[in-house]
Amino acid sequence: MIRSMRWATGAAGVALALYGGWLLVTREDRLGDVALWLVAGVVLHDAVLAAIVVVLGALAVRLAPAPARAPLAVGFVMLGPVTLLAVPVLGRFGARADNPTLLDRDYTAGWLVLAGITTVAVVGATLVRSRRGSGKG
Amino acid sequence: MRIPDEADFRSRLRSAAVTARVGLWLGICFGVCFLTGLVSHYAQNAAHPVPFPTSPAWGYRVTQGLHVVTGTAAVPLLLVKLWTVYPRLFRRPERGWRNLLLDVLERGSVLVLVASAVFMLASGLANSAQWYPWSFSFRTTHYAVAWIAIGSVVLHVAVKLPVVRGALGSDVDDAALDRPAATEPGVLTRRGLLRATWLAAGVAVVATAGIAVPPLRRVSVLGVRSGRGPQGVPVNKSAVAARVTASATRSDYRLVVANGDRQVALSRPDLLALPQSTRELPIACVEGWSAGGTWTGVRVRDLLDLVDVPAGTDVLVTSLQESGPFTTTVLHGNFADDDRTLLALALDGEPLSLDHGFPARVIAPDRPGVLQTKWVARIEVPA
Repeated sequence: MIRSMRWATGAAGVALALYGGWLLVTREDRLGDVALWLVAGVVLHDAVLAAIVVVLGALAVRLAPAPARAPLAVGFVMLGPVTLLAVPVLGRFGARADNPTLLDRDYTAGWLVLAGITTVAVVGATLVRSRRGSGKG
Repeated sequence: MRIPDEADFRSRLRSAAVTARVGLWLGICFGVCFLTGLVSHYAQNAAHPVPFPTSPAWGYRVTQGLHVVTGTAAVPLLLVKLWTVYPRLFRRPERGWRNLLLDVLERGSVLVLVASAVFMLASGLANSAQWYPWSFSFRTTHYAVAWIAIGSVVLHVAVKLPVVRGALGSDVDDAALDRPAATEPGVLTRRGLLRATWLAAGVAVVATAGIAVPPLRRVSVLGVRSGRGPQGVPVNKSAVAARVTASATRSDYRLVVANGDRQVALSRPDLLALPQSTRELPIACVEGWSAGGTWTGVRVRDLLDLVDVPAGTDVLVTSLQESGPFTTTVLHGNFADDDRTLLALALDGEPLSLDHGFPARVIAPDRPGVLQTKWVARIEVPA
C-alpha cells in the first residue's frame, strides 16, 4: 500500500516537472539564458558557497576559543543567509532615479545593525559560556 | 586540493535527522509559495474561465505577501538543508547496474531540484527588488520553473519517504540514519542547529516582510520599500518611466468610454462632475509590497452605464502608456460590476499625483497592482 502510494507520488512529481519543462520550452524564447541561470545556481552553491562554508568552519574550529565556537556557528547561520538575501538591495541594482519610493532605505546601515546585533549576541554568549567554564553547547 | 570524499565529513550535525526536520518546513514554505504563485499567475491572466473573486478586497495582498514571505523564509531553510546533505554529493557510485542506475536517477532528480529551487529563490528575490539581470521573461520563466521545482519536491519526498518517516519518528539525536563517518560531535547540538535555523528564517522574514505587513515597516531594515511615497503610497512605475508625463498633463485629455458605435469622451472636470465614491482599497504588487489607500473617483459601473454596457461584460482598459506588457488590461465583468471598483481621480483627499496615475486610474478590490491601470485613456467593450 505504502509502496504503491510512493510510486504514485513519485510519478505525479515527474509529471508536474515535465509539465513545467514543457511550459518553459513552448513559452520562453531565451532558453540559453534560462539554462545558464539554472546551472549557475547549482555551481555557485555546490562549488563556491558550500566550499567557502567548509573552509570558514575549519578556520573557526582552529582559531576560535572553545566557548566561542557554538555562538559563532549560530551567528553565522543567522547572518549568512540574510546577507545573501540582501544582495539585491545592498547592491541597489534595480534603483531608478525617477522612482524614489523603490529601494528607499539605507540598506548598508540596516545590514550593519543586523551584523552589530549578531556580534553583540555572539560576544555576550561567549563571555557567559567562558565564565561558566564550559566549552560544550 | 583534492576533491573531498563523503567520509571526510565527520560532523554528526550533517545528519538525515536534521535534514528531515528542516526539509519539512522547507516543503511547507515551497508548497505555500507555489500555491500563492498560482493564484497570482491566474489573477494576471486575460482569460478567467473561473472568475477570480473580488472579495475579500485584501485577498491578493495576503496571498502575494505570503508568497514573498515564504520564499524569503525558504532561503535559510534551503541553505541549512543543503549544508546537512553536502557530503552526499561526494558519495561513491553504487555497485551493480541496477543500483548504479537508481543512484544516477536519484542524483539527476536532486540536481533538477537544487537547480530549480535556487533559480526560483534567486529570480524571485531579484524581481522583488526590480533587478532584472537576465534576458528572459520573468513571469513566463518563474511560472514554468515553479512547476519543475514543485514536481521535483514531490518526487524527492516520494524517494526519501522511508528516511523522512524514520527521522521524524525518532529523536533528533538518534544515530540510526547517520552516515558511518559522521561520528564527531559538532560545535552545536542538533537541537541547537535547528533552533539557529528557525531563528535565521525568522530574522529573514522580519527583516523584509514590512513591505507587506505595515507594523513591521520600522524593523524591516532590508525591505525593498519603506512604505513611504507620494500621498502615502509607494510607486511601482513612475510617469517618467512610462513616458506619459506629456500626454497625461495635456489640457485636451479625454477619457473615452466605448461600446461599439456608442461612445462618450469625458474631460477630468466632466469626470469630477459625476457622482463620486470613496473607498479604502489596498494596492498590492506582484513584487510583494502592498499599501492601503483611500481612493475617490467614479464607479466604473456608472461609466459603463453611460454607453449601456450590459452587466457581466469584460472590458479593455487602455493606458496612455505607449509600450509595456500591461498597457492594455482586461477588467473582468465581475470586477467591472463591483461597487468598489473605481476610476480613481483622487488619493488621500488630493488629486492623484502624476506617478499614481493622474488624470485617472483603475482601482479594484483583490487585484494585482499591475492590473490597476494608471493614466487611463480608454475603457471599451472589445470588438
